[in-house]
Amino acid sequence: MDLRNGYADKNREEFLVEKIKQGDKEAFMRIVSSYQQKVFILAYSMVREREDALDLVQETFMRIYEKINTYRPGANFSAWLMQIARNISIDFLRRQKSRKKDSLDSIDTERIDLQSKENDPSRFNPGDMIQKAVARLPEKQKLVFILHHYEELKYEEIAKRLSISLGTVKSLHFKAIQKLRKALAPQLGGSR
Amino acid sequence: MKSCQKYKKDWVAYLSRQLEPAKSQQMEEHLKHCSICQQELEQIKELFSLSGDFKTELQKEMEAIDWEKLSVVITDTVWKRQEDRKKSWPAWSYRWKWQPVAAGLILGLLLGAFFTYRVVKPQKSSFFVIRSESKLSVPPDFVEKVDLALARRETIDYLDRSQYLLLEILQTRKPDEASAFLTKDKIQKLLNEKKYLNDQLDQVRLLKAKAICDQIELLFLELTQLSPELSEAELQKIRELIEERQLLLKINLVKKELQQSEV
Repeated sequence: MDLRNGYADKNREEFLVEKIKQGDKEAFMRIVSSYQQKVFILAYSMVREREDALDLVQETFMRIYEKINTYRPGANFSAWLMQIARNISIDFLRRQKSRKKDSLDSIDTERIDLQSKENDPSRFNPGDMIQKAVARLPEKQKLVFILHHYEELKYEEIAKRLSISLGTVKSLHFKAIQKLRKALAPQLGGSR
Repeated sequence: MKSCQKYKKDWVAYLSRQLEPAKSQQMEEHLKHCSICQQELEQIKELFSLSGDFKTELQKEMEAIDWEKLSVVITDTVWKRQEDRKKSWPAWSYRWKWQPVAAGLILGLLLGAFFTYRVVKPQKSSFFVIRSESKLSVPPDFVEKVDLALARRETIDYLDRSQYLLLEILQTRKPDEASAFLTKDKIQKLLNEKKYLNDQLDQVRLLKAKAICDQIELLFLELTQLSPELSEAELQKIRELIEERQLLLKINLVKKELQQSEV
Protein backbone atom coordinates (compact mmCIF):
# COMPACT_ATOMS: atom_id res chain seq x y z
CA MET A 1 0.00 0.00 0.00
CA ASP A 2 1.26 3.43 -0.83
CA LEU A 3 1.32 5.17 2.50
CA ARG A 4 1.67 8.61 0.96
CA ASN A 5 -1.49 8.02 -1.04
CA GLY A 6 -3.11 6.73 2.13
CA TYR A 7 -2.35 9.96 3.93
CA ALA A 8 -3.41 12.02 0.90
CA ASP A 9 -6.74 10.14 0.75
CA LYS A 10 -7.24 10.65 4.47
CA ASN A 11 -6.51 14.37 4.24
CA ARG A 12 -8.76 14.67 1.22
CA GLU A 13 -11.58 12.89 3.02
CA GLU A 14 -11.12 14.99 6.16
CA PHE A 15 -11.24 18.11 4.01
CA LEU A 16 -14.35 16.94 2.17
CA VAL A 17 -16.08 15.98 5.40
CA GLU A 18 -15.41 19.45 6.83
CA LYS A 19 -16.83 20.98 3.67
CA ILE A 20 -19.93 18.78 3.86
CA LYS A 21 -20.45 19.87 7.45
CA GLN A 22 -20.48 23.43 6.14
CA GLY A 23 -23.15 22.42 3.59
CA ASP A 24 -20.93 22.06 0.51
CA LYS A 25 -22.85 20.06 -2.09
CA GLU A 26 -19.83 19.60 -4.39
CA ALA A 27 -17.84 18.00 -1.57
CA PHE A 28 -20.71 15.63 -0.87
CA MET A 29 -20.87 14.64 -4.53
CA ARG A 30 -17.15 13.82 -4.46
CA ILE A 31 -17.64 11.51 -1.51
CA VAL A 32 -20.56 9.86 -3.32
CA SER A 33 -18.42 9.39 -6.45
CA SER A 34 -15.61 7.81 -4.42
CA TYR A 35 -17.76 5.39 -2.48
CA GLN A 36 -20.91 4.62 -4.46
CA GLN A 37 -19.45 1.55 -6.20
CA LYS A 38 -18.06 0.12 -2.98
CA VAL A 39 -21.42 0.58 -1.27
CA PHE A 40 -23.20 -0.95 -4.26
CA ILE A 41 -20.98 -4.04 -4.19
CA LEU A 42 -21.68 -4.52 -0.52
CA ALA A 43 -25.42 -3.96 -0.91
CA TYR A 44 -25.76 -6.09 -4.03
CA SER A 45 -23.80 -8.92 -2.43
CA MET A 46 -26.33 -8.95 0.34
CA VAL A 47 -29.62 -8.32 -1.45
CA ARG A 48 -28.96 -9.63 -4.99
CA GLU A 49 -31.36 -7.15 -6.61
CA ARG A 50 -29.98 -4.23 -8.54
CA GLU A 51 -32.85 -1.88 -7.77
CA ASP A 52 -32.84 -2.76 -4.11
CA ALA A 53 -29.06 -2.33 -4.00
CA LEU A 54 -29.35 1.08 -5.67
CA ASP A 55 -31.99 2.11 -3.13
CA LEU A 56 -29.63 1.03 -0.38
CA VAL A 57 -26.81 3.09 -1.90
CA GLN A 58 -29.13 6.09 -1.91
CA GLU A 59 -30.22 5.45 1.67
CA THR A 60 -26.63 5.00 2.78
CA PHE A 61 -25.58 8.40 1.49
CA MET A 62 -28.69 9.97 2.95
CA ARG A 63 -27.70 8.54 6.33
CA ILE A 64 -24.09 9.65 5.83
CA TYR A 65 -25.25 13.22 5.26
CA GLU A 66 -27.52 13.15 8.30
CA LYS A 67 -24.82 11.72 10.53
CA ILE A 68 -21.85 13.63 9.17
CA ASN A 69 -21.61 15.67 12.35
CA THR A 70 -21.14 12.50 14.38
CA TYR A 71 -18.02 11.56 12.40
CA ARG A 72 -14.97 12.28 14.55
CA PRO A 73 -12.08 13.83 12.61
CA GLY A 74 -9.12 11.47 12.54
CA ALA A 75 -11.28 8.33 12.60
CA ASN A 76 -11.31 5.92 9.67
CA PHE A 77 -13.86 7.53 7.37
CA SER A 78 -14.00 4.59 5.02
CA ALA A 79 -14.68 2.16 7.86
CA TRP A 80 -17.30 4.52 9.29
CA LEU A 81 -19.09 4.85 5.95
CA MET A 82 -19.00 1.12 5.17
CA GLN A 83 -20.29 0.31 8.64
CA ILE A 84 -23.31 2.52 7.98
CA ALA A 85 -23.78 0.88 4.56
CA ARG A 86 -23.64 -2.56 6.11
CA ASN A 87 -26.12 -1.66 8.85
CA ILE A 88 -28.55 -0.31 6.29
CA SER A 89 -28.31 -3.48 4.22
CA ILE A 90 -28.82 -5.65 7.29
CA ASP A 91 -31.88 -3.59 8.29
CA PHE A 92 -33.24 -4.02 4.78
CA LEU A 93 -32.82 -7.79 4.94
CA ARG A 94 -34.47 -7.91 8.36
CA ARG A 95 -37.45 -5.90 7.11
CA GLN A 96 -37.70 -8.15 4.08
CA LYS A 97 -37.57 -11.25 6.24
CA SER A 98 -40.18 -9.80 8.58
CA ARG A 99 -42.50 -8.98 5.68
CA LYS A 100 -42.13 -12.51 4.35
CA LYS A 101 -42.87 -13.98 7.75
CA ASP A 102 -46.00 -11.88 7.93
CA SER A 103 -47.37 -13.54 4.89
CA LEU A 104 -47.79 -17.29 4.97
CA ASP A 105 -48.50 -17.30 1.28
CA SER A 106 -45.20 -15.71 0.48
CA ILE A 107 -43.34 -18.29 2.59
CA ASP A 108 -44.98 -21.10 0.71
CA THR A 109 -44.26 -19.47 -2.60
CA GLU A 110 -40.62 -19.00 -1.67
CA ARG A 111 -40.31 -22.59 -0.52
CA ILE A 112 -41.80 -23.90 -3.75
CA ASP A 113 -39.57 -21.59 -5.72
CA LEU A 114 -36.41 -22.72 -3.92
CA GLN A 115 -37.31 -26.38 -4.19
CA SER A 116 -37.99 -26.08 -7.88
CA LYS A 117 -34.67 -24.33 -8.45
CA GLU A 118 -32.74 -26.90 -6.51
CA ASN A 119 -34.41 -29.86 -8.19
CA ASP A 120 -34.28 -28.55 -11.71
CA PRO A 121 -30.70 -28.76 -13.10
CA SER A 122 -31.59 -26.47 -15.97
CA ARG A 123 -32.26 -23.72 -13.44
CA PHE A 124 -29.06 -24.33 -11.44
CA ASN A 125 -27.26 -21.07 -10.95
CA PRO A 126 -23.83 -21.22 -9.25
CA GLY A 127 -23.93 -17.51 -8.62
CA ASP A 128 -27.18 -17.86 -6.65
CA MET A 129 -25.83 -20.81 -4.75
CA ILE A 130 -22.63 -19.22 -3.56
CA GLN A 131 -24.35 -15.97 -2.85
CA LYS A 132 -26.92 -17.60 -0.61
CA ALA A 133 -24.12 -19.33 1.25
CA VAL A 134 -22.21 -16.05 1.53
CA ALA A 135 -25.33 -14.33 2.88
CA ARG A 136 -25.41 -16.83 5.73
CA LEU A 137 -21.84 -16.14 6.82
CA PRO A 138 -21.18 -14.26 10.04
CA GLU A 139 -21.02 -10.51 9.42
CA LYS A 140 -17.27 -9.92 9.51
CA GLN A 141 -16.45 -13.04 7.52
CA LYS A 142 -19.04 -12.01 4.95
CA LEU A 143 -17.60 -8.53 4.72
CA VAL A 144 -14.03 -9.76 4.28
CA PHE A 145 -15.19 -12.21 1.61
CA ILE A 146 -17.10 -9.53 -0.29
CA LEU A 147 -14.30 -6.98 -0.05
CA HIS A 148 -11.69 -9.45 -1.25
CA HIS A 149 -13.58 -11.35 -3.91
CA TYR A 150 -15.93 -8.73 -5.30
CA GLU A 151 -14.19 -5.50 -4.58
CA GLU A 152 -10.78 -7.06 -5.17
CA LEU A 153 -9.18 -5.44 -2.14
CA LYS A 154 -5.91 -6.79 -0.79
CA TYR A 155 -5.77 -7.98 2.80
CA GLU A 156 -3.89 -4.84 3.77
CA GLU A 157 -6.58 -2.61 2.27
CA ILE A 158 -9.35 -4.59 3.97
CA ALA A 159 -7.53 -4.28 7.29
CA LYS A 160 -7.33 -0.52 6.82
CA ARG A 161 -10.93 -0.18 5.75
CA LEU A 162 -12.30 -2.26 8.59
CA SER A 163 -9.78 -0.99 11.15
CA ILE A 164 -8.67 -4.51 12.01
CA SER A 165 -5.28 -6.25 11.90
CA LEU A 166 -3.85 -8.04 8.90
CA GLY A 167 -3.82 -11.32 10.83
CA THR A 168 -7.53 -10.92 11.62
CA VAL A 169 -8.34 -10.39 7.95
CA LYS A 170 -6.43 -13.53 7.01
CA SER A 171 -8.17 -15.51 9.73
CA LEU A 172 -11.65 -14.21 8.84
CA HIS A 173 -11.08 -15.03 5.17
CA PHE A 174 -9.94 -18.54 6.00
CA LYS A 175 -12.95 -19.14 8.25
CA ALA A 176 -15.32 -17.79 5.61
CA ILE A 177 -13.91 -20.13 3.00
CA GLN A 178 -14.12 -23.10 5.37
CA LYS A 179 -17.78 -22.36 6.08
CA LEU A 180 -18.58 -21.96 2.42
CA ARG A 181 -16.87 -25.22 1.59
CA LYS A 182 -18.95 -26.94 4.24
CA ALA A 183 -22.18 -25.33 3.04
CA LEU A 184 -21.46 -26.08 -0.60
CA ALA A 185 -19.89 -29.51 -0.12
CA PRO A 186 -22.47 -31.36 -2.30
CA GLN A 187 -21.98 -28.93 -5.19
CA LEU A 188 -18.18 -28.93 -4.79
CA GLY A 189 -18.12 -32.74 -4.73
CA GLY A 190 -15.90 -32.85 -1.70
CA SER A 191 -16.43 -34.52 1.62
CA ARG A 192 -16.40 -31.37 3.82
CA MET B 1 -10.10 -37.98 5.00
CA LYS B 2 -6.61 -37.24 6.23
CA SER B 3 -5.57 -33.65 6.60
CA CYS B 4 -2.23 -31.90 6.50
CA GLN B 5 -2.00 -29.24 9.14
CA LYS B 6 1.27 -27.70 7.96
CA TYR B 7 -0.18 -25.05 5.65
CA LYS B 8 -3.89 -25.71 6.16
CA LYS B 9 -4.65 -22.18 7.26
CA ASP B 10 -2.51 -20.58 4.58
CA TRP B 11 -3.93 -22.00 1.35
CA VAL B 12 -6.71 -19.45 1.17
CA ALA B 13 -4.23 -16.60 1.47
CA TYR B 14 -1.94 -18.38 -0.98
CA LEU B 15 -4.63 -18.58 -3.64
CA SER B 16 -5.55 -14.99 -2.95
CA ARG B 17 -1.88 -14.04 -3.57
CA GLN B 18 -1.63 -12.35 -0.21
CA LEU B 19 1.48 -14.10 1.09
CA GLU B 20 5.14 -13.13 0.98
CA PRO B 21 6.89 -14.58 -2.11
CA ALA B 22 9.21 -16.65 0.09
CA LYS B 23 6.33 -18.29 1.94
CA SER B 24 4.45 -18.93 -1.31
CA GLN B 25 7.57 -20.62 -2.70
CA GLN B 26 7.86 -22.87 0.37
CA MET B 27 4.21 -23.85 0.02
CA GLU B 28 4.61 -24.61 -3.68
CA GLU B 29 7.52 -26.94 -2.79
CA HIS B 30 5.33 -28.64 -0.17
CA LEU B 31 2.47 -28.95 -2.64
CA LYS B 32 4.58 -30.98 -5.02
CA HIS B 33 4.78 -33.82 -2.49
CA CYS B 34 1.50 -33.49 -0.51
CA SER B 35 -1.58 -34.96 -2.18
CA ILE B 36 -3.79 -33.89 0.73
CA CYS B 37 -2.85 -30.25 0.26
CA GLN B 38 -3.29 -30.60 -3.50
CA GLN B 39 -6.85 -31.78 -2.91
CA GLU B 40 -7.46 -29.00 -0.43
CA LEU B 41 -6.20 -26.43 -2.88
CA GLU B 42 -8.40 -27.81 -5.67
CA GLN B 43 -11.53 -27.44 -3.57
CA ILE B 44 -10.67 -23.88 -2.61
CA LYS B 45 -10.01 -23.09 -6.27
CA GLU B 46 -13.43 -24.48 -7.15
CA LEU B 47 -15.03 -22.28 -4.55
CA PHE B 48 -13.14 -19.25 -5.81
CA SER B 49 -14.35 -20.11 -9.24
CA LEU B 50 -17.96 -20.16 -8.02
CA SER B 51 -17.47 -16.79 -6.40
CA GLY B 52 -15.98 -15.68 -9.68
CA ASP B 53 -19.34 -16.50 -11.27
CA PHE B 54 -21.03 -14.14 -8.87
CA LYS B 55 -18.33 -11.59 -9.53
CA THR B 56 -19.10 -11.81 -13.23
CA GLU B 57 -22.75 -11.21 -12.45
CA LEU B 58 -21.82 -8.31 -10.23
CA GLN B 59 -19.58 -6.78 -12.86
CA LYS B 60 -22.37 -7.10 -15.40
CA GLU B 61 -24.75 -5.28 -13.07
CA MET B 62 -22.21 -2.58 -12.38
CA GLU B 63 -21.45 -2.02 -16.03
CA ALA B 64 -25.13 -1.34 -16.59
CA ILE B 65 -25.07 1.57 -14.19
CA ASP B 66 -24.10 5.11 -15.19
CA TRP B 67 -22.03 5.92 -12.12
CA GLU B 68 -21.35 9.52 -13.05
CA LYS B 69 -25.05 10.20 -13.41
CA LEU B 70 -25.84 8.21 -10.29
CA SER B 71 -23.60 10.34 -8.09
CA VAL B 72 -25.38 13.47 -9.35
CA VAL B 73 -28.80 11.89 -8.80
CA ILE B 74 -27.89 10.72 -5.29
CA THR B 75 -26.49 14.12 -4.33
CA ASP B 76 -29.50 15.98 -5.72
CA THR B 77 -31.92 13.61 -4.01
CA VAL B 78 -30.14 13.89 -0.67
CA TRP B 79 -30.08 17.69 -0.94
CA LYS B 80 -33.70 17.92 -2.00
CA ARG B 81 -34.84 15.58 0.75
CA GLN B 82 -32.97 17.59 3.34
CA GLU B 83 -34.52 20.81 2.11
CA ASP B 84 -38.00 19.23 2.08
CA ARG B 85 -37.42 17.96 5.58
CA LYS B 86 -36.42 21.43 6.75
CA LYS B 87 -39.56 22.85 5.16
CA SER B 88 -41.84 20.13 6.48
CA TRP B 89 -40.41 20.52 9.97
CA PRO B 90 -41.84 23.86 10.93
CA ALA B 91 -40.46 26.13 13.57
CA TRP B 92 -42.50 24.41 16.27
CA SER B 93 -40.57 21.19 15.78
CA TYR B 94 -37.31 23.00 16.51
CA ARG B 95 -38.97 24.63 19.45
CA TRP B 96 -40.07 21.21 20.63
CA LYS B 97 -36.53 19.95 20.18
CA TRP B 98 -35.16 22.78 22.31
CA GLN B 99 -38.06 22.91 24.72
CA PRO B 100 -36.39 20.87 27.46
CA VAL B 101 -33.35 23.15 27.25
CA ALA B 102 -35.53 26.26 27.32
CA ALA B 103 -37.54 24.89 30.23
CA GLY B 104 -34.33 24.18 32.11
CA LEU B 105 -33.04 27.68 31.43
CA ILE B 106 -36.26 29.34 32.55
CA LEU B 107 -36.39 27.22 35.69
CA GLY B 108 -32.76 28.08 36.41
CA LEU B 109 -33.45 31.79 35.93
CA LEU B 110 -36.48 31.68 38.19
CA LEU B 111 -34.60 29.83 40.92
CA GLY B 112 -31.65 32.19 40.52
CA ALA B 113 -33.93 35.22 40.79
CA PHE B 114 -35.68 33.78 43.83
CA PHE B 115 -32.46 33.05 45.72
CA THR B 116 -30.95 36.39 44.73
CA TYR B 117 -34.07 38.11 46.06
CA ARG B 118 -33.83 36.13 49.28
CA VAL B 119 -30.17 37.03 49.74
CA VAL B 120 -30.31 40.74 48.84
CA LYS B 121 -33.87 41.39 49.98
CA PRO B 122 -34.11 45.15 50.77
CA GLN B 123 -34.50 45.84 54.50
CA LYS B 124 -37.61 47.83 55.39
CA SER B 125 -36.46 51.14 56.85
CA SER B 126 -38.34 52.51 59.84
CA PHE B 127 -37.43 56.03 58.69
CA PHE B 128 -38.30 55.89 55.03
CA VAL B 129 -41.63 54.19 54.89
CA ILE B 130 -42.73 56.15 51.86
CA ARG B 131 -39.57 55.28 49.92
CA SER B 132 -39.54 51.64 50.86
CA GLU B 133 -43.13 51.44 49.73
CA SER B 134 -42.12 52.90 46.42
CA LYS B 135 -39.88 49.80 45.95
CA LEU B 136 -36.90 51.81 44.75
CA SER B 137 -33.87 49.58 45.05
CA VAL B 138 -31.31 52.12 46.22
CA PRO B 139 -28.93 51.93 49.17
CA PRO B 140 -30.61 53.04 52.42
CA ASP B 141 -27.94 55.67 53.25
CA PHE B 142 -28.45 57.22 49.82
CA VAL B 143 -32.13 57.71 50.55
CA GLU B 144 -31.27 59.15 53.93
CA LYS B 145 -28.90 61.68 52.37
CA VAL B 146 -31.49 62.72 49.82
CA ASP B 147 -34.09 63.21 52.58
CA LEU B 148 -31.70 65.30 54.60
CA ALA B 149 -30.82 67.50 51.63
CA LEU B 150 -34.52 67.98 50.80
CA ALA B 151 -35.35 68.83 54.43
CA ARG B 152 -32.52 71.38 54.54
CA ARG B 153 -33.63 73.00 51.30
CA GLU B 154 -37.27 73.23 52.39
CA THR B 155 -36.31 74.52 55.85
CA ILE B 156 -34.14 77.24 54.31
CA ASP B 157 -37.04 78.23 52.01
CA TYR B 158 -39.40 78.33 54.95
CA LEU B 159 -36.98 80.37 57.01
CA ASP B 160 -36.46 82.79 54.06
CA ARG B 161 -40.15 83.43 53.64
CA SER B 162 -40.64 83.80 57.40
CA GLN B 163 -37.66 86.16 57.60
CA TYR B 164 -39.11 88.44 54.88
CA LEU B 165 -42.35 88.60 56.72
CA LEU B 166 -40.68 89.37 60.05
CA LEU B 167 -38.50 92.05 58.44
CA GLU B 168 -41.55 93.68 56.93
CA ILE B 169 -43.19 93.70 60.36
CA LEU B 170 -40.14 95.32 61.89
CA GLN B 171 -39.84 97.93 59.15
CA THR B 172 -43.51 98.88 59.14
CA ARG B 173 -44.30 102.02 61.09
CA LYS B 174 -48.04 102.21 60.60
CA PRO B 175 -50.50 99.55 61.80
CA ASP B 176 -52.66 99.78 58.63
CA GLU B 177 -49.63 98.97 56.39
CA ALA B 178 -48.86 95.98 58.59
CA SER B 179 -52.48 94.81 58.31
CA ALA B 180 -52.14 94.90 54.47
CA PHE B 181 -49.41 92.26 54.28
CA LEU B 182 -50.18 90.33 57.47
CA THR B 183 -53.15 88.64 55.87
CA LYS B 184 -54.54 85.51 57.38
CA ASP B 185 -53.92 83.59 54.14
CA LYS B 186 -50.25 84.40 54.11
CA ILE B 187 -49.79 83.38 57.74
CA GLN B 188 -51.91 80.28 57.33
CA LYS B 189 -49.83 79.24 54.32
CA LEU B 190 -46.65 79.47 56.36
CA LEU B 191 -48.28 77.52 59.20
CA ASN B 192 -49.26 74.76 56.74
CA GLU B 193 -45.72 74.60 55.40
CA LYS B 194 -44.47 74.24 58.96
CA LYS B 195 -46.83 71.32 59.54
CA TYR B 196 -45.35 69.58 56.53
CA LEU B 197 -41.83 70.44 57.67
CA ASN B 198 -42.42 68.97 61.14
CA ASP B 199 -42.22 65.36 59.89
CA GLN B 200 -39.12 66.01 57.91
CA LEU B 201 -37.35 67.86 60.71
CA ASP B 202 -38.16 65.03 63.10
CA GLN B 203 -36.86 62.40 60.72
CA VAL B 204 -33.56 64.03 59.86
CA ARG B 205 -33.03 65.38 63.36
CA LEU B 206 -32.33 69.00 62.45
CA LEU B 207 -32.86 70.04 66.05
CA LYS B 208 -31.70 73.65 65.90
CA ALA B 209 -33.71 74.33 62.79
CA LYS B 210 -36.73 72.70 64.38
CA ALA B 211 -36.39 74.91 67.46
CA ILE B 212 -36.35 78.17 65.52
CA CYS B 213 -39.11 76.96 63.23
CA ASP B 214 -41.20 76.16 66.29
CA GLN B 215 -40.66 79.69 67.66
CA ILE B 216 -41.67 81.21 64.33
CA GLU B 217 -44.73 78.99 64.27
CA LEU B 218 -45.66 80.13 67.76
CA LEU B 219 -45.40 83.74 66.71
CA PHE B 220 -47.54 83.13 63.63
CA LEU B 221 -50.12 81.36 65.77
CA GLU B 222 -50.27 84.41 68.01
CA LEU B 223 -50.69 86.61 64.92
CA THR B 224 -53.68 84.59 63.82
CA GLN B 225 -55.30 85.32 67.17
CA LEU B 226 -55.12 89.05 66.52
CA SER B 227 -57.85 90.94 64.72
CA PRO B 228 -57.23 91.91 61.06
CA GLU B 229 -57.11 95.58 61.98
CA LEU B 230 -53.90 95.86 64.02
CA SER B 231 -53.57 98.58 66.62
CA GLU B 232 -50.35 100.47 67.25
CA ALA B 233 -49.90 98.64 70.52
CA GLU B 234 -50.37 95.23 68.92
CA LEU B 235 -47.83 96.00 66.24
CA GLN B 236 -45.38 97.18 68.85
CA LYS B 237 -45.91 94.05 70.84
CA ILE B 238 -45.16 91.89 67.80
CA ARG B 239 -41.97 93.85 67.13
CA GLU B 240 -40.87 93.35 70.71
CA LEU B 241 -41.53 89.65 70.52
CA ILE B 242 -39.43 89.35 67.40
CA GLU B 243 -36.57 91.30 68.89
CA GLU B 244 -36.87 89.71 72.29
CA ARG B 245 -36.67 86.26 70.88
CA GLN B 246 -33.88 87.34 68.50
CA LEU B 247 -35.73 85.56 65.79
CA LEU B 248 -33.99 87.24 62.88
CA LEU B 249 -30.56 86.54 64.29
CA LYS B 250 -31.42 82.94 65.01
CA ILE B 251 -32.89 82.53 61.51
CA ASN B 252 -29.69 83.88 59.99
CA LEU B 253 -27.51 81.57 62.05
CA VAL B 254 -29.57 78.47 61.31
CA LYS B 255 -29.81 79.34 57.62
CA LYS B 256 -26.03 79.77 57.45
CA GLU B 257 -25.49 76.47 59.20
CA LEU B 258 -27.89 74.69 56.89
CA GLN B 259 -26.32 76.22 53.79
CA GLN B 260 -22.85 75.20 54.93
CA SER B 261 -24.03 71.65 55.58
CA GLU B 262 -25.42 71.55 52.05
CA VAL B 263 -21.96 72.12 50.60
